[in-house]
Amino acid sequence: MSAADVCAAVVPGVEVTGAWLSAALDGQAGHLMQVTDEVGRLLADLQLTLGEGPLLDASASGGPVLASDLADRESGARWPAFAPAACRAGAAAVFVFPLVVGAIRAGVLGLYRDRPGPLGDFQLGDALVFADTATMLLLDAAQDQAGEGAGPGGQPAGLASYRAEIDQATGMLTEQLGVSITGAFVRLRAYAYANDIQLADVARDIVARRLRLFPDPDLAPEG
Amino acid sequence: MDGQLLSETFVELTDTMVADFDLIDFLHVLTSRSVELLDVSAAGLLLADPRGELRVVAASSEAARLLELFQLQGDQGPCLDCFRSGRPVAATDLGADPRWPQFADAAGQAGFCAVQALPMRLRDQVIGALNLFRATAGPFDADTVQVGQALADVATISLLHDRSMRRTDTLNEQLQTALNSRVVIEQAKGKLAERLGIDVDQAFALLRDQARNRNQRLSDVARAFVDGTQAITGAAGGSPRTSRPGPRTAPPRSAL
Repeated sequence: MSAADVCAAVVPGVEVTGAWLSAALDGQAGHLMQVTDEVGRLLADLQLTLGEGPLLDASASGGPVLASDLADRESGARWPAFAPAACRAGAAAVFVFPLVVGAIRAGVLGLYRDRPGPLGDFQLGDALVFADTATMLLLDAAQDQAGEGAGPGGQPAGLASYRAEIDQATGMLTEQLGVSITGAFVRLRAYAYANDIQLADVARDIVARRLRLFPDPDLAPEG
Repeated sequence: MDGQLLSETFVELTDTMVADFDLIDFLHVLTSRSVELLDVSAAGLLLADPRGELRVVAASSEAARLLELFQLQGDQGPCLDCFRSGRPVAATDLGADPRWPQFADAAGQAGFCAVQALPMRLRDQVIGALNLFRATAGPFDADTVQVGQALADVATISLLHDRSMRRTDTLNEQLQTALNSRVVIEQAKGKLAERLGIDVDQAFALLRDQARNRNQRLSDVARAFVDGTQAITGAAGGSPRTSRPGPRTAPPRSAL
């Protein structure tokens, strides 16, 4: 399964009209990985063209932006250019989920509906799980590109159940390895996978300073 | 009980319609006022995540926060029972209570002997639980339980009212944003601890001091530090162990 598959699966999964997924690791300009229809492509493009919209707001806050009626006054005030343009493009509601783990940014998952109305409680919960899954798959893909070998692929751990120690260990690894927070998380997961140890156990050893990881000599250090 | 503070607190907890309403600040007010008003040592608050899990969103102290986390990880404890049943759960002497042996041990190590868990509930909907911890064993007096439940009720009504009156989705946006900010703060604690060779609690104190001194949000300081756009200067030229004893109740965001 790839992150693009998640984009296709989320549409019937939470009963939306269409979706798009863009990847943006480490603050690089996002590139559109997958769209399910033309309206989704327009919505992704519009925000970059107009410089405003729920995608940019979600990226800035690190939290989802849920605009269940783009024609209402609130949306109009929030995005005076994007809201009417999105309506003309055929969207009535837009829900954007940043693909983040704390300061790690992997991209954005956008959903839209051609009729207004909020996501139900279960739909919202499911959308968050889809977004978590896409996040881990994008990070796995980054790991493959970095030559770290096969990732944990296909079994993304539930981000919501992550413990503080995993986040703390990730922060510690940025210093030990001289890499970005994304690079640190990729290495942490690769280490756990390669050694067949639970991620939480690796993290606990790092935080307790029983385990250190060392920079990979084959890879150029990241910023 | 301080009547003046009590009435001020009720006003605070109904004031969710302000433009710059911040969910985490709001819930932090609930926990810190609970400690100020009631005969308890610490308070923690769990809210239901739309993913179907409970999350710790506010605590009056780090010890209370860790104890809440411990219950979630161990999947046992009075706060979980309270949330699942929607009813108050009390343990007046954890050392002698057979219901949650692992939780009782962890609570004892954190210095707590009694706990009162109060549901955040409106009709059939349970959105979380407010948990009061006390250092001494013995029953919670009726005032503490009644006023504690009233605070939890007012906060619940304010949040659900807020959800129906304002944009439907605001509460969910803020909850998810707040949960991610907590992750950023943990990442920053780890990075700073490793950089300075200190433990994560000391790192947290430095981050908090910097946020206070610069009048910035803790989550913003943490994000800028992890992103490498802002240094943490608290330790510059001196001992990194500048953590100072806090006031009796922590100011907003201190226990994030």
